[in-house]
Amino acid sequence: MAKWTVLIAAYTAGCIWLSMRRMEASGTGPKTPRGRLREMGWGLALLGLTISLFGLNGVNHWPTLIAMLIAGLVLVFLPRQAAWMVAVMLTVLGLYGFLLVRAYQRGYNVQTLYGLVLAGAGSYRTEFLLPQVYVFLVLGLWLLWRTVGRRSRLARQVLERKPPWRLLLLPVAVIAIELAGPTFGFSRGVWLILANLALLAAVLLIIWRFPAGAADLATAGLIALGLYGVALAFFWPSAPFITYDASLRFGAVLVGSTTWAALAGLEGGLMLAAGLWLLPRTVIPHARVLLRPEPDADLADRVEQLTQTRADAVDSAAAELRRVERDLHDGAQARLVALGMNLRAAEHLIPTSPQAAIALVAEAREASSKALTELRNLIRGIYPPVLADRGLADAVRALALDTPLRTETDIDLPGRLDAPVESACYFAIAEALTNAVKHSGARQAQVRIQHARGMLRAEVTDDGCGGADPARGSGLAGIERRLGTFDGIMAVSSPPGGPTMIVMEVPCALSSPRTSSS
Amino acid sequence: MRVVLAEDLFLLRDGLVRLLTAHDFEIAAAVEDAPALLQAMLEHRPDAAIVDVRLPPTFTDDGLRAALEARRQVPGLPVLVLSQYVEQLYARELLADQAGGVGYLLKDRVFNDDQFVDAIRAVAGGGTVMDPEVVAKLLGRRSRDEPITRLTAREREVLELMAEGRSNSAIAQRLFITEKAVGKHSTSIFAKLDLVPSTDDNRRVLAVLAFLNS
Repeated sequence: MAKWTVLIAAYTAGCIWLSMRRMEASGTGPKTPRGRLREMGWGLALLGLTISLFGLNGVNHWPTLIAMLIAGLVLVFLPRQAAWMVAVMLTVLGLYGFLLVRAYQRGYNVQTLYGLVLAGAGSYRTEFLLPQVYVFLVLGLWLLWRTVGRRSRLARQVLERKPPWRLLLLPVAVIAIELAGPTFGFSRGVWLILANLALLAAVLLIIWRFPAGAADLATAGLIALGLYGVALAFFWPSAPFITYDASLRFGAVLVGSTTWAALAGLEGGLMLAAGLWLLPRTVIPHARVLLRPEPDADLADRVEQLTQTRADAVDSAAAELRRVERDLHDGAQARLVALGMNLRAAEHLIPTSPQAAIALVAEAREASSKALTELRNLIRGIYPPVLADRGLADAVRALALDTPLRTETDIDLPGRLDAPVESACYFAIAEALTNAVKHSGARQAQVRIQHARGMLRAEVTDDGCGGADPARGSGLAGIERRLGTFDGIMAVSSPPGGPTMIVMEVPCALSSPRTSSS
Repeated sequence: MRVVLAEDLFLLRDGLVRLLTAHDFEIAAAVEDAPALLQAMLEHRPDAAIVDVRLPPTFTDDGLRAALEARRQVPGLPVLVLSQYVEQLYARELLADQAGGVGYLLKDRVFNDDQFVDAIRAVAGGGTVMDPEVVAKLLGRRSRDEPITRLTAREREVLELMAEGRSNSAIAQRLFITEKAVGKHSTSIFAKLDLVPSTDDNRRVLAVLAFLNS
C-alpha cells in the first residue's frame, strides 16, 4: 500500500509542478502560487476522485491508473475543462454506488471503499452507502448544471420547458424502483438492470413528450411515496409491502430498524409535503381542464351566426335611420319651410291685396296636407299604426286589403308577439307580397300564419310565374336577414311557371291574447 | 245639432270645439279618453260623435273600439271617426253592422271646414262617409271577378262619390250631370250589386259596403 501512496503523491506533485510551469510560460492567469493552486482546484479534485477509485477495485489497478493518467493530463493541459469532468465523475460514481448497494443486497462479499465508507457484506457500515450515493449524485448533477448544463441548448430544450416539476418524475421513479426492485419478477442480474433501464427510459420519454402528465405523475408519486414513508414510521416492523430480508430501501434510507423507520417517516413527510405543495400547481388545474365540458362546436357556430345577424341588424337599423332622416329632410321639413314662407307672404299681402293673400293661405293649407301625407307614409314604413294597434294578425289583414292583388288571409294567432318580432314578420310578409305584385304577374295571393310549439310560421303563396331566387332578388335576401336577427329562417319554392311559395319560420313566444273589439 | 267630441291632444280638441261652435254645433261633451267617450256617448245620445281612433289609456285603437262598443249598445248611433291614417280594415269594422251613420276620415279633412261639417251632417243623417283615400285604395285593387266589375266607368265614379258620403245633388254637381241622371245611375248600381229595394239611404250604405268588400 505504501508503494502506491508514494507513487501517487509523486505523480500528483509532478502534475502540480508541470501545471505551474505551463501557467508561468503562458503568462496568463494568477501570478501568485496560491492563486495558481486555486486555479488548479477542479483539476486536483478530478485527480483526487480518480485516486479514490483505488478503494473501489482492490484487484485490478489498471483502470484506476489510466483514469489517474488522464486526470493528470487534464490538470496540466486542460485545467478549464476539469470542472465538468469532476461533475461527470461524481455522477458516474453515484450511479455506480447504486450497483454496489444492490450487489451487497445480493450477498456480494468483498470489502469495498466507497467514498468514506469501507463497506462489506453484513457490515452495518453498508447502510451508509446509499446516503453517500445520493450526495454524489446530487453534487454531480448540481455541478453538471453549473458547468455545462445551464448554458447548453439541451438545457434550454429539456430543462426550461414548463412545468419544471415534471423533472421530479425521475427521482420519484428511481425511488419507486428501488423500493419495488427486489421483488421484480426477473431472474436477477442483467435482466433486472435492463428492466430498470427500460423503465427509466420510459420515464424520460414521458417527461419529454408529456411534460404536464409527467408533473402530475410526479406529484401523485410523491404523495403515494410520502404516505408510504409515514406509514413505515408508524407500523414498523409490520409495515405493508415489506418482503425483502425484513428490510427495505426507502429513498436515502435502508430501513432495517425502528430508528431507520423513523428516518423513513421523516423522509416520507417531506415527500408528502412536497407532493401536497405541488398538488394545486399540477394535478388540480389539469383535472379542471380535463373535467371542463368540451368546447361545443354548435356553440361556436351559434356565436358566428349571432355575430353575423347582429351586424346585419345594426346595418339595417342604421340604413333605416338614414332613410327616415332623408325622407323627413326632403319631405315634411321642406314643406313646413315653404308653408312658413307662404304664411309670412300672406301676412304682408292681407292689407294690400286680400285676394292674393287668400290664394297663398290656400296654398299653405295644401302644403300642410301634403306634409301630413308624407309623414303618414313615412310612419307606415317605420312602424305601421295597425301593427301597433292590433298586432300582426290584423296588420297583415289590413295589408292584404291594401295590396293591389286579390289576397286571402288565413291567420290563426290567438295572442300577440313581441314588438320587434312582430315588426320583422310584418315587413317580411309585406316584402313577399310586394314581390308578388311587382314581379310575378299573379292574379291572387294567399297569406297563412299560424303559431305552434313556440314557432311562428307564415306562408305567402301566389299563382304567378315563379322563378323567384333569394340569391338574386335583394328583397328576399332582405327578408332572410331581417328574420335572421330573430333566428328565423326563410324557404322559397318558386319553380319557373309558378306557383311561388315563401315560408318563414321564427321562434317566438305568443303573449296572452288581448281584449279585442272584433 | 249636439255632438260628443273625443280627442286627447288639447290643441286639436280646442280647435275642433271652436270650429264646431262656429258652425252652430252644440258640444255636449269634449272628452280625452276612451272610457269617458263611451260614457258620454251612452249618456248624451248625441246626434253625432266625433272620435279620434288613437286615445288613452293604451294609445292604440281605443277610440275606435269605444265607438264600436257604443254602436253595439245603441245601434246606429252616428259616429265619425278621425285618424291620422286610414285603414280599410277599420272602415270595414265600422261598416260591418250595416246600420249606417258612420264616417271615417283623415284628420287632414278638418282643414276644409265646409266639407268636414257636411260630413258630420251626413253621418248624423244616417249616411256613410268614407275618406277619399280609402276609396282610392279600393280602386288600386285589380279585382276582376267581382260584381263591382260589372259597373260602367260612370257608375263607378258615382259609387265612389257615394262612398265619400256625398248627396245626389253634390254628385251631380261634381260630375256635371243632372240629379236625375245620378238617380238613374244609382238604381243601376243597386241592381247590378243585387241590392233589394228598401230605403234609399240603406241601399246606399249597402252599395258602399259591397264596394268595400270587393
